Amino acid sequence: MTPGPLTVALLGNPNVGKSTLFTALAGIPTRVGNYPGVTVEEKIGRFTHRGRAIDLVDLPGTYSLAPQSPDERVAVDVLHGRMPGVPRPDCILVVADATNLPRNMFLATQALEVGVPVVVALALADVADRKGIRIDVTELSRRLGCPVIRVAPPTGEGVAAIRDGVVEAAIGPPPQPLHLAAQESGTAARPAAAAEAIARYAAIERLLEGVVGGSDTTPLMEDRIDAILTHRLWGTLIFAGVMLAMFASIFWLAPPLMDLISAGMDRLSAFVAGVLPEGAIRSLIVDGILAGVSGTVVFVPQIALLFLFVAILEGCGYLARAAYLMDRLLVGVGLSGKSFIPLLSSFACAIPGIMAARTIENRRDRLLTILVAPLMSCSARLPVYLLLCGAFVPDRAAGLPWLPLKAAVLAGLYALGVVVAAAVAWVLSRTVFHGPPQPFVMELPGWRWPRPAVVLERAREAAWSFLQNAGTLIVALSIVLWALMTYPRNEQAVDTDIAALRQSIDQRIKAADDDDPDRAEVVAQLESLDTPEGLAAARQGAAQRYSVLGRAGRLVEPLVKPLGWDWRIGCAALASFPAREVVLGTLGVIYNLGDVDPGEAEGATALERRLKAARWDGTNRPVFTLPVALSIMVFFALCAQCASTLVVIGRETGSWVWPVVTFAYMTALAWLGAFAIYRIGLALGW
Amino acid sequence: MVAVSLDDVAVGTTVRVRDIAGGDAVAIRLLEMGVTPGVEIRLVGKAPFGDPLELELRGYRLSIRRQEAARVAIGDR
Repeated sequence: MTPGPLTVALLGNPNVGKSTLFTALAGIPTRVGNYPGVTVEEKIGRFTHRGRAIDLVDLPGTYSLAPQSPDERVAVDVLHGRMPGVPRPDCILVVADATNLPRNMFLATQALEVGVPVVVALALADVADRKGIRIDVTELSRRLGCPVIRVAPPTGEGVAAIRDGVVEAAIGPPPQPLHLAAQESGTAARPAAAAEAIARYAAIERLLEGVVGGSDTTPLMEDRIDAILTHRLWGTLIFAGVMLAMFASIFWLAPPLMDLISAGMDRLSAFVAGVLPEGAIRSLIVDGILAGVSGTVVFVPQIALLFLFVAILEGCGYLARAAYLMDRLLVGVGLSGKSFIPLLSSFACAIPGIMAARTIENRRDRLLTILVAPLMSCSARLPVYLLLCGAFVPDRAAGLPWLPLKAAVLAGLYALGVVVAAAVAWVLSRTVFHGPPQPFVMELPGWRWPRPAVVLERAREAAWSFLQNAGTLIVALSIVLWALMTYPRNEQAVDTDIAALRQSIDQRIKAADDDDPDRAEVVAQLESLDTPEGLAAARQGAAQRYSVLGRAGRLVEPLVKPLGWDWRIGCAALASFPAREVVLGTLGVIYNLGDVDPGEAEGATALERRLKAARWDGTNRPVFTLPVALSIMVFFALCAQCASTLVVIGRETGSWVWPVVTFAYMTALAWLGAFAIYRIGLALGW
Repeated sequence: MVAVSLDDVAVGTTVRVRDIAGGDAVAIRLLEMGVTPGVEIRLVGKAPFGDPLELELRGYRLSIRRQEAARVAIGDR
């Protein structure tokens, strides 16, 4: 009988090269997910050595085994074999930063008290050499009573020795637990954990006496880089440049890749549509399943690019500096410096932004960041803003001669998202998330070159976990929404509807003056009903109006009327639940244009003309006026009409409560904002 | 005036920690990070808005907010 796999837990402070060692030992993880009940990432990789299979469990980066945060609790539970689904480790592999041994020994000596065999990997040993730090590895190993192995994964140093070390330790006799400071008892003024920390550092100073030599001061070069990059003026300017470069690359590098994916999916859809006979099955596959797959895969370039950037910034030590520089700005509204990058990325797309919130260790700060991230105006809102601004905001200056009103409105919509996010974060941090002050005690890791293998692995992992965890749900949701927009089908009702449409356009032409600017559009609309394409488009619109979602649109009319919307706009807003940008396409279908592409000039102008010519049912009152256009734009600036974002919030928080909360509060704010701007617009006679 | 806590020392100064007030999560986290009585800390710099602070101790860099720094009582070198 072959012996079962050995379990080795990988423990270490954040930023010590734990992921580098994980990749060097086990390659691509075989299992990635969340530990049951908590949103702490579980990552397990497997490798074989000396005929034994070894499961390497990557624990979250932690500074201490006195559990304070969910991350630390997970680490402690795994080490003691209390985590369901993870066997008690046969060996703990502690990664310690050789350039910063005293503080790293804090966790290492705690691990030695667990009672499981320990192997210490001295990471960044090459960097320590260059800094002139000399470590007597043999003596350290003797004093700790466990193997200590120098590793430098990029050069391959020590990786084979670690494999030998963990297997020998895991199958060897159980060790004598070290008792350095575990038995400290607390007093009223100083609890046990505090007394233990003081005693442990004193013990570590004795332990390392004569073991660590040479210069332990940071060399001047690093000091100088740090002085510039955290300088009040230069540091801030460089920071702005780096963030701009990151943002620009997501905003401009990703779209060509996304277009490529969309084009590929469109061709696949067209191919499938050509092969399958017309009917429900074809519609399900093309408009339900393939649309959902396309809507998932299209996010991958942005996610991969952002995580590539985040991994580079993290790898070279800049991520912590960014949080350091921005902290003061964000702490005022109840967030922290670490919220900055997730929020900035959310201007491109909330999905990678929410995923980037993984870099925030503090659970409260992380949740708060995730909840307000979708308020940043993402790139999906831009087409909605551009079309409505272009069509309904007058062409004149906004107070200042050089500032066109259209541009001012656009800027205002972006600012609205930021201001509302700040207000929401401020309110939530003082109510729902009110609690004891959250410590901001953050290591500023040394400057070093990012490891390409780790950077690529980070991007791959983020994209894969999105596809695996969120993708399936997004596709399922897409199928449900397709069904709601397609059924029930009632051909008779569609016929009646088309007849009524013909009649109403006829009446309108008769009633309209010859100098009505929209007369030509209305005449064209009537004429198009006599062409096969025009009739098909009108039938498509009528069918959608009879679907469950279409009827729901009519049902919500009393709710959207205060916003200045007719039932068609309400319908389009409801149907845009899968994604905001869909609202334009949906408006096209509802206004009988068929599947226009508002992303192209031709489709956009056709839609613009049709919207301008729209009238309230049975009257000659235009539907789309400036206050109505503003009301729609404000609604879309603040609403949570993006199913994928909600799915990702559910996945990242590990609870379905938060997407529901996000949807509810954002929809409420969107309604209030739209109502306010509509009323103000009416009152001021815009 | 002689500085009594870590939040009001000048940039570039090295001070010795005397004690950390309280025994809550903030105090324990500071102690775990090596801010223990007797250790020497240099204030490397301050962020653009004067908060948080960048410290150097035990051969590494640490950032804490002024609010936390106020909890760290300091003595003479």
